[in-house]
Formats: sequence, structure tokens, C-alpha cells
Amino acid sequence: MLTLSNVSKSFPGVKALSGMQLDVRAGEIHALVGENGAGKSTLTKIIAGVYQPDEGQMEFDGEIAHWATPGAAKVAGIHVIYQEFVLFPHMTVAENIFIGHERRNALGLVDHRQTRRDATELLHRLGVDIDPDRRVVDLSVADQQMVEIAKAMVHRVKLLILDEPTAVISGKEVELLFQRLQALKADGVAIIYISHRLEEIFEICDRVTVLKDGQFVASHSTAEVDRDRLVALMVGRDMKELFPPKADPAAIGAVVLEARNIRAAGRVNGASISLRAGEVTALAGMVGSGRTELALAIFGGLEMTSGEVVIGGQSFRQMTPARAIEQGIGLLTEDRKGQGLAILLDVASNITAANLDEISRWGLLDRSREDTIARGEITSYQIACRGPQNPVVTMSGGNQQKVLVSRWARTCRKVLILDEPTRGVDVGAKAEIYRIMREMAAKGVAVLMISSELPEVIGMADRVLVMREGTIGGELTGAEITEEHIMRVVTHQNAA
Amino acid sequence: MTILRPSARRGFLRRNGSQTIVVALLVILMVVGSLVSSRFSTLANFMNILEQSVTLAIVSLGQTLAVLTGGIDLSVGSLISLASVLLSGITNGDPGMVVPAIAIVLGLGILVGLLNAAAVIWLKVHPLIVTLGTGAALQGVTLLYTMGPAGKMPLGFDFWAFGRVLGLPVGAIITVVLFAGTALFLRYTPLGRYIYAVGDDSTGAQLMGLPRAKVLLFVYGFSGFTAALTAVFLVSRFGVGQPYTGANFTLTSITPVVVGGTLLAGGRGGVIGTLLGVYLVSLLNNVLNYMDISSHYQLIVQGLIVIIAVSVYVEKKRKL
Repeated sequence: MLTLSNVSKSFPGVKALSGMQLDVRAGEIHALVGENGAGKSTLTKIIAGVYQPDEGQMEFDGEIAHWATPGAAKVAGIHVIYQEFVLFPHMTVAENIFIGHERRNALGLVDHRQTRRDATELLHRLGVDIDPDRRVVDLSVADQQMVEIAKAMVHRVKLLILDEPTAVISGKEVELLFQRLQALKADGVAIIYISHRLEEIFEICDRVTVLKDGQFVASHSTAEVDRDRLVALMVGRDMKELFPPKADPAAIGAVVLEARNIRAAGRVNGASISLRAGEVTALAGMVGSGRTELALAIFGGLEMTSGEVVIGGQSFRQMTPARAIEQGIGLLTEDRKGQGLAILLDVASNITAANLDEISRWGLLDRSREDTIARGEITSYQIACRGPQNPVVTMSGGNQQKVLVSRWARTCRKVLILDEPTRGVDVGAKAEIYRIMREMAAKGVAVLMISSELPEVIGMADRVLVMREGTIGGELTGAEITEEHIMRVVTHQNAA
Repeated sequence: MTILRPSARRGFLRRNGSQTIVVALLVILMVVGSLVSSRFSTLANFMNILEQSVTLAIVSLGQTLAVLTGGIDLSVGSLISLASVLLSGITNGDPGMVVPAIAIVLGLGILVGLLNAAAVIWLKVHPLIVTLGTGAALQGVTLLYTMGPAGKMPLGFDFWAFGRVLGLPVGAIITVVLFAGTALFLRYTPLGRYIYAVGDDSTGAQLMGLPRAKVLLFVYGFSGFTAALTAVFLVSRFGVGQPYTGANFTLTSITPVVVGGTLLAGGRGGVIGTLLGVYLVSLLNNVLNYMDISSHYQLIVQGLIVIIAVSVYVEKKRKL
């Protein structure tokens, strides 16, 4: 159905894909695995016509394919369900399903009755019970996903691509999704399934292709590989080398920050956590479970509707970023480009951004001092750049992240919160970031890491807190920290 | 793109909240008006209000579509000024020139709108900046053309501003027809639907292969057209075009849009709300007149209304 050969794609400063190959057949579910930043999403977007490859060839349904726009790929029969759905929240379910393919009457006008009827029928065929007149914003995430699948069925979909479909749904909903996918497969649809959850891949996929650092690694039938082999292919080395040794329980000190009964943004519903000096605590849970919001509330980036943050003997009913920094808290946000880096500025100003006092004299910035500091950090964190004046926008994800880590390492004395710190960075930078986190902990800082990557949680955390629907659903320490235990708490199957 | 979450508010008020509030305010103003003056609740006064609100209504109609896509058109004020002086300048009292002059002016309005859209689409400049720029440039062109009132209109052209058909102001009838037509267009054509989609989630619309360029060309072209049409009614009212006659409209055209419940972020709202917003503003000014409050205060009140309206409707597009 789909064959890619020797496909490459570069963005300013990064080679996202090089010499990529892929072969997906009709009526199979083909898994695409690789670490974050391995090139899965670039590959998806090339197949979907969002990006055009720099070189290489793509064949779809027996013909050479060059898609100038996503619209062209859609017409050819390719539908992508992105991890973040492409739904218009203020429109109804029926309107969303038929957007771009409006049901029209003889006059060419939108036929609302027909739209509703066809939507009802489609949803019925999918075996889901969703009112087509409801606004999408009012649906549960699982129902929104079904609307996305219904959208794919509007015109004969030949290739369906799902990007981390189970990241946002749980237990029973996953089972339902798998049933639908099996049905589509039986209809001869080719499915590309992107997931981090290896057990799912062995459950429903026929074949698997592994990517690493933008390159093709291997394609196998799922029957002929096992889990460990797959992980080794993805990481390119044994997982154990990636992580520094965990903290000695005796070295873990007193509680430095306590957040009590925090409510915020409608997504954090009474979560309490405490962080100890010298300890790396991981905050696991599904996307949307309120992890990011909890971190933001503690740092003062979100309004708290109730609760308090206790640090340094003071209790705060409402944090502000300025107070948080003063108290020695640092936050490395999930969205590096949007909320963390001043993307157009240079390395030096990004490193010093959280603490301009350090380089100010009589209210003016001392640029030469800033330069000295930046040079020191570039050397100690091995940041690959042309110097302190290099704009961060041209640097790779891993190096950008190191810039941010070094920023907070300078200012945060007590608590460092990292939200998905290794998202989109290569293995080398990952190892570096893990090492820095450990070093900070060894210096007595309490480290809180939010992560969706189970291997990372298991490899790094001295203690794991699992967040579920805005509260802390469970806590695991020491030998309890296994993939199985964590998933059980995440999906709430007889809470551990 | 955002991950969507179920929101708690449902039902009638949520779907029709903005309209309900505006209608309630209209009713309150009517009561206040009739208490303030016996001349307020007369047919003549209501006809007067309808008549006076025509220009604001028409320019706000185009503005609504621009805002629905998540954009804005700040060039309408200067465009109205330019179209006004050109209309009366070209006509210059000759009845035979009225129709060609109107055609030229409306065509110019559409052209300016298309240029605005082109800059937004292909130069990738935010509409706020693009239209601010074209607005300034158009004001310059206007002043190059004339520093004062230009030309004049033939006798009888004031029919469009003051004439009555079946006892109703002509302009008000045209206004209602235009608004109804646009409302139907938004609801019953795919292009109308895409206007909302682009405003709701521009990236998403592109990923879905929806014609964003076509939507923006249409929307800004339409806004330019309605601005030029506003100029026609203004010139009819004053008998002559003046180089600063449109200046106030840039901001006042936004008031009814936001008061009527259209989100400045785009994707939600509609023209019926805007029309109600227009009548609310006009009624308010009328009542303030009867209360002997100077027009300077009316501007202050309008400014406050915009800020309050936006804070009331502020939403729900939760982005972290």
C-alpha cells in the first residue's frame, strides 16, 4: 500500500530523517517505534503531505506520490489521527465529521439534516453512542478519538495513521479502540500505529519498524522479535548504561517542599505531594491527568483555587514565578519553545534569564560577565554551539534542553521541576540530562521529573507518584517501581 | 492545537448566552429610555435609531467575519474615508456618474480587502499589522487626493440615508437583508463553515486540508466591500465625502462584534449577535442623548462596554 525509499528531510539545524525506508501493506497493522526525536512524527507528516521530503521516493497505492498539501494526501485516502486531535471544539460532532466534505442539497447548500443523519449512521457503524449534535468540546477524550476515526471513514480511508492513540485513553476504551482497528484491518485498511507501549504493539500489530535518530533501523514481524530486542534496537544501547545509579536511601534528606491539597485549572483536584532533598521523584500518569498543571501551580504559573505550597518555612496560598524563583524553585517546562526558551535570543541570555541579578550592576546588565558565565556553562554541559552568541533557534532539541537545564541549575537551590525533560532529544543528550539531574540531587536539591516515558521513570526515580484525574493515585518506591505496577496505578486496575 | 476537555457549562445559556445578555440589556435600556424622556418611546425615535445605525451595522458586518477567522480589519476606517471622497469626487454632482462611481468605490473596497488577505496569507504577517499598515497608507492616499470635502452628490442621493419604504428607513431594510443573507451564508455554505474552522483552529484547518487562503481572501474582500458600502451611506447622509469621515469606524466597528458575543480569538459567534450589538450601541447613545449627556461621554461609555464585553465572554479556549 505504502512504500518509502531513501526519504530524507532536514529542518534548519537538524536532519530529521535520512535515508528512511518503510513498507506498509494493505490489511496490516504496522507499528512505528522509536524514542522521542527518532523522527516518527516527521515521517508521519511527510506521509500526510504536511512536509515534503527533500529527497527520496514515496509510492502509495501503486503510484508515485508527491503531495503538496495535507488535502491532497487526504483525497488519496490517507488519514492521520494526531496525538492532539484535529477537531474544532466549538463545532458539533456531525459538523466535525464532515468538515471539508459537507453534505449538500440540490442547491449546493449545506444540508444539516443529512449531515446529522449520515453522522449518526457512521457513529453507529463504529458501534459508539455519541450524540451528533453535541459540541466536541463537551465530549470525553475517548469519544473525541472516535469522532476522529469516524472522520477517517467519511471517504474511503486506505491508510490510517494513529499517533500514540492510547496516550489519552485508558483500560476499557483501549480495548474498544483495538476492536475498531481490527475491524478496519479486516476491511483491508493499512494502519500505521505509533506507540511507546510495547505490550500494545505485540498485542495488535503484525509488523514493526524501528527508527532511531532519524534513520531506519529494522523492520520485523512482531512474531520474530521480543521486547528486549525491540528496546535495544530503539535505544541503540543497553538501557542500563543510560541512567546513573539511584540515590542511596540514607542520603535522602528532609522534606523541602510540600504542596497540600492543590486545586487548579479544573484539572488538579486536590493533589498533595512532598519533595525531599536529594531525591529524584517522578510524576507519572496519562497525558491530561493534571501533572503539568500541578507543576505550574507549584511554580506559580497557574492560579490555585485552593491549597498551599509550603517551602522554606513559609506557606503560600498563591505562588508566583517570582516568589518561586526567590524560594529556590526552578521549572523546566514541557513546551520548550513556547514557554521555556526565548527562541530567537542567544545562548547567553537564555542561560541568565532567570536570574538577571547575578549579572546586573547598578541596574545595568554586565554583558561581559554574562559572556563569561555562558562560556562556563557551555563547557560544563557540553552544549554544542558556536558560542554564547549563538541563537538557540538554530540548535538541536537536546542542546536547547541543556541550555534550559543549565539556566535552572544556576538559580534553583531547593527544588528543580522538569516537565518531560527528554522529549525530542537524542540519546546522548538524554544521558547528559539524566546525569545533571542526579548531580543536582546529590547537591541536596529535590528533583521532580514529570515523564510519560516509563523506561525513564523506572531508570531515574527514587520514588514514583502516579497522577490520575487530578489527584495522586498512588506512590511507589524502591523495588515496587516496575512498568507493570505503574501502569496498574495509571489505569486504576485495583490500585496498588 | 489543544487537547480538549469536557467543559461543565451546557444548555441554553451556554449556547445562546451572548444573545440573551444583549437582548436583556436592550430591554433594560428601553425601560430606562422611556423613564428618562417621553419622546423616547415614540415610533419616530425608533425609526431614527434604525436610520442612524445603518453605517455602523454595515461596517461591523464585514468586521464580524474577519474576527470570526481570528483576525481583525483595522483598515476599514481609512477605507471608508477614501471611498467617501472618491465617491463624491468622481460623481461631482453629475447624476449620470453616480452608478459608475459607486461601482468603482465598491470594487476598490474589495481590492483593498484582497490585498490585505494576500499579505496575511503569503507574507505571513498578522492581520492586525497588515490592516494597520494598509489603513495608514489609505489615509495618506485620501489626503493626497483631497484635504477637504471633495465634489458633491446630485440632489436626491440622500434617499439612501433618509428615504422610507413602507414606512421603514431604506438603509435599515438593506441592513437587515445583508445580515440575514450573511447569517444564512455562514450556516449553509461550506465556505461559511470553514470561516469558523479557521478561527477555531487555524493549524488544524490546514492539517485537514481546508482552503485557508480562500477563506481569508473572501473574508477580507467582504470586509473591504462592506466598508466601501458604508461610505456610500455616509456620503448619502452628508451629501459629500470628507477625508476623515471614516476615522472613528475602525474601533467602533469592533464594539458591536465583541458585544454580540463573537470571540476575538475567532471560531465562535456570528452576525446576528453583531446586529444586536449595533442596536445596543445605537440605543445606548440615543438614551444618553435624552439624558443630556455629551457625546464625549458616549465614547467613554463605548470604550468601557468593549472591555466589559470581552471580559464577560473571555473563554474557554484553555491553552497552557
